[in-house]
Amino acid sequence: MITKLDSKIPSGPLESKWDRHRFSERLVSPNNKRKLTVIVVGTGLAGASAASTLGQLGYQVECFCFHDSPRRAHSIAAQGGINAAKNYQDDGDSVGRLFYDTIKGGDFRSREANVYRLAQISGQIIDQCVALGIPFAREYGGQLANRSFGGVQVSRTFYCRGQTGQQLLLGAYSALCWQIERGQVTMRPRTEMLDLIVVDGQARGIVVRDLVTGRISIHTAHVVVLATGGYSNVYYLSTNASGSNVTATYRAWKQGAAFANPCFTQIHPTAIPPSDAYQAKLTLMSESLRNDGRLWVPKMLGDIRAPRDISEGERDYFLERRYPRFGNLAPRDIASRAVKAVCDEGRGVGPNGHGVYLDFAGVVEQQGLDVVSERYGNLFEMYHRITGEDAYHAPMRIYPAPHYTMGGLWVDYNLMSTIPGLFVIGEANFADHGANRLGASSLMQGLGDGYFILPYTIGHYLATAKLPPVTEDHAEAREAHHRVLNRMARLLAAKGRRTAASFHRKLGSLLWNYCGMSRNETGLKLALSSIPTLREEFWRDVVVPGTGDSFNQELEYAGRVADYLEFAELLCHDAWHRQESCGAHFREEYQTGDGEPKRDDARFSHVAAWEYREGASPILHKEPLAFEFVQPTTRSYQ
Amino acid sequence: MTRLFSHFQSSVGSKVLLALSGLGLVSYVIFHMLGNLQVFEGPHALNRYAALLREMPILLWTARVGLLGIVVLHIVLALQLSLRNHRARPIGYAVRRYRRASVASRTMAASGAVLLLFIIFHLLHLTAGIIDPSASDRLDVEGHRDVYGKIVHAFQNPLIVALYVVGQLGLGLHVNHAVSSSLQTLGLEHAALNRLFKAAGPSVALLVILGNVAIIVAVFVGIVR
Amino acid sequence: MRFTLNIWRQNGPNENGRFISYEAYDVSPRMSFLEMLDGVNQGLVANGEEPVAFEHDCREGICGSCSLVIDGIPHGPDRGITTCQLYMRRFPDGAIITIEPWRAAAFPIVKDLVVDRSALDRVMQAGGYVSVNTGGAVDGNALLIGKDQAETAMDAASCIGCGACVAACKNASAMLFVAAKVSHLALLPQGKPERTGRVTAMIEAMDREGFGSCGNQYECEAVCPKRISVRFIATLNREYRRAGIVESALPNASESPHAESV
Repeated sequence: MITKLDSKIPSGPLESKWDRHRFSERLVSPNNKRKLTVIVVGTGLAGASAASTLGQLGYQVECFCFHDSPRRAHSIAAQGGINAAKNYQDDGDSVGRLFYDTIKGGDFRSREANVYRLAQISGQIIDQCVALGIPFAREYGGQLANRSFGGVQVSRTFYCRGQTGQQLLLGAYSALCWQIERGQVTMRPRTEMLDLIVVDGQARGIVVRDLVTGRISIHTAHVVVLATGGYSNVYYLSTNASGSNVTATYRAWKQGAAFANPCFTQIHPTAIPPSDAYQAKLTLMSESLRNDGRLWVPKMLGDIRAPRDISEGERDYFLERRYPRFGNLAPRDIASRAVKAVCDEGRGVGPNGHGVYLDFAGVVEQQGLDVVSERYGNLFEMYHRITGEDAYHAPMRIYPAPHYTMGGLWVDYNLMSTIPGLFVIGEANFADHGANRLGASSLMQGLGDGYFILPYTIGHYLATAKLPPVTEDHAEAREAHHRVLNRMARLLAAKGRRTAASFHRKLGSLLWNYCGMSRNETGLKLALSSIPTLREEFWRDVVVPGTGDSFNQELEYAGRVADYLEFAELLCHDAWHRQESCGAHFREEYQTGDGEPKRDDARFSHVAAWEYREGASPILHKEPLAFEFVQPTTRSYQ
Repeated sequence: MTRLFSHFQSSVGSKVLLALSGLGLVSYVIFHMLGNLQVFEGPHALNRYAALLREMPILLWTARVGLLGIVVLHIVLALQLSLRNHRARPIGYAVRRYRRASVASRTMAASGAVLLLFIIFHLLHLTAGIIDPSASDRLDVEGHRDVYGKIVHAFQNPLIVALYVVGQLGLGLHVNHAVSSSLQTLGLEHAALNRLFKAAGPSVALLVILGNVAIIVAVFVGIVR
Repeated sequence: MRFTLNIWRQNGPNENGRFISYEAYDVSPRMSFLEMLDGVNQGLVANGEEPVAFEHDCREGICGSCSLVIDGIPHGPDRGITTCQLYMRRFPDGAIITIEPWRAAAFPIVKDLVVDRSALDRVMQAGGYVSVNTGGAVDGNALLIGKDQAETAMDAASCIGCGACVAACKNASAMLFVAAKVSHLALLPQGKPERTGRVTAMIEAMDREGFGSCGNQYECEAVCPKRISVRFIATLNREYRRAGIVESALPNASESPHAESV
């Protein structure tokens, strides 16, 4: 039972909160660290950086991932870059400005103290990554290069071509490899967490399934860290990897961890439009394309001429028109909605009218084909491969796609959830991005949590909490083990006629239509009443072939879909409750005359943290957001 | 020193030794060809050259023993690596398509085996004179052993010519991949010189084949008699 | 479009496998190869049969999960891509397509087309890192690295660890993988302090895992989805030779370059 949400934000001036907090934290002596075990689930940027740093500090770390190798976590797919307030370009950047941009970008729905801390450590992250040998782009003089990204007016993004996430992850993975070699980290790949073990109110272990042998086993520890990413795949079609899922965080929710702001889901404006029903995923085109590309649609309804035949005067550069100050670099939520708006008007291009042009003709003309190809060559190539179209000579067609989830398990300033001993980092927590994340900030947050925040705060917990020994035979551990076994048995017993994917696809389209880029009361009600029906159908009619004691991908997948079918309800519930438009959450009832979102600070300046109740609606706990240092204003990019 | 030794026992280290021994043998082959090309200058030149070599028995035998050692090392290493490579893929593909690998590179074991058989035959034939004793060791007018005469006699036989030409093709095929590959194994790589390194194998192979086959054919068609 | 697929099916690492033929109907040329397989699998699952196991995750060519040998070529007939980036428009209607797993002793088959590539992780653990602690790093700009140097390091670092190089190599050698890792760090100043030990340890680990030796045929480069150049193999060879000379001069070097006193 959650009685009160205590964010544990230190008092005092914003600039010194983190320093003073670190000083007041208790430490664990090196001798004792050796005796303490930490479970880390997930090996993306957050998980790998945390596991390696904790191992380096001397804890015994047991690290889990469902991939065949920790290096394959979905952080690897991040293209654009990582932000840091280094001000290497001397263009007016500072910790304060990164802080303010992030708070404003998140539409004043994040904690000041957390965001400020993130901005403060952003520079250290870059230094650490350079030390690990990450080949960041450099200038001719040998200094680090920067580029600009959506939602900001300075160049503070560090990058490795279009593969920044890959390089940062491989850096964290290499650090992890070192700790595995040293024996500080025990790595368990191809192992999926299926439940959390809570003993006397403290998280003390997890139940996992070995994906090769199917063996279900109990792993206990003094503390558990979840770094299991986001849940965009609840929409079926998203830019996430096919394996990304909500299961770990959702199971933790069912064990008592509050889930915060699940309705804050980011829809990225520039993905390749879906082409057919069989499609399994959407491919992102990096936001960096908006640095040079211009978004437009024909002014005339139903204009099916080829784009080059439509003259300048007949084109509507809608982002530049609506947001002259930021133009094509408007933040993601705003750009996505603007795309949806013109498509809803019937001015969308391509099959089904689901698409707008992203045009590079201007920059090709000004700077030449070579410059464009050096900057974006790999993206143009990717686009060509998927669509068969050449973006050098005709504009790209793009359409928004679910990409990132700001919502996640609620954590306090120490990144600990409402279950003591359960820490949540990276995209899996409800994060520092408020209602909308700015480009190149997720990599910063994942690594910040893992390298520089969690290693401090986890020590304080371990130094102060009473942690009696817990073995695999503990009643709570056995109980969790049983829960997993029962669920597996139930899935395997399902011998219906329909595949798990067919339910997933149906759930996805339901959510996309009623809880996607814009939401309204009627649609959400409809979704909330349809999801339980779909869930019942699933358990009645799904088919899961094969056995539980072998490598069975369909069983893994069906389990994840079953969790989406429950979690989707929570998502819609939260979207229904938040009767305002803020960031990525756009409620049609709350908008200005010209279609801009209307935030309601009086009623909704809070984090909505939901507590699980068996067989009943979840209970809402509100963590009020106090703004001591910045004044929430109408977020304007016009 | 033991460290250095263990270094050469790894797959990469063995390859370095294989490359070095191979390059040594290629150098010998070129030297051997240049020597034999003196056949075009007439019996006098070639026989004097052969006599010159025989006048330094210590050097000759050191070279022979050294060559034998290098050949044995080369073969042992090649067998070792082949065994390792065979173990590395116990079950092959049902369908296999190559995109880049040259025919020469894919047939190194076969061309190596052909080459070995040819060398044995060649030694028995011309060096030891066991295969065709009728041509052995006459003396020329200057009192030198008549190597020239032996060559002229040998390559009038179409069967022998055919065997030698096949041997040369095996040699060329082997050298074609071997030289460039050895340079790569030795880590010789430079943006400005890569073309040269790449061309080295085929060039040397062509040179050796042309040179050696020229002798054989010249005798056979009667240009050299 | 429709295709006939000859797919390798094998229940587990120690069981016998065989090819089974499947028909793929209603395939759109805009489908990716994996989406086509998804379709076949959906049909199998709906009939209560076990689907063909194959590895996939990001489906945009960066995670390195997908690993199919298609008609004798790892990642299929196109160059510079992974299997997930291959589209059906590349195949003629009615084609017969053979699909096999990566084949190498170091990559035992888990099931059907899924292989265990943890050998590559173990090679990395042997030395594929810069051992610096978290915290206390100097300012990123304190280390000046020329643009060309950084770009070359990035060329090597872009390896996605899919193992296609091993699959394509006649000898199932992992040299291109190890070369990419070693070269990336050898090219940067951060990697210099451990340069000697790293290359020795990684080559030893590579041999231990049972990969073959490099035959310099360059099939690896031809199938590499990131087009990593074989000139990094020359770099690796150079680094290894250098390490041999440097190490033999160190009188007190411990047996394992990364051994620590506990």
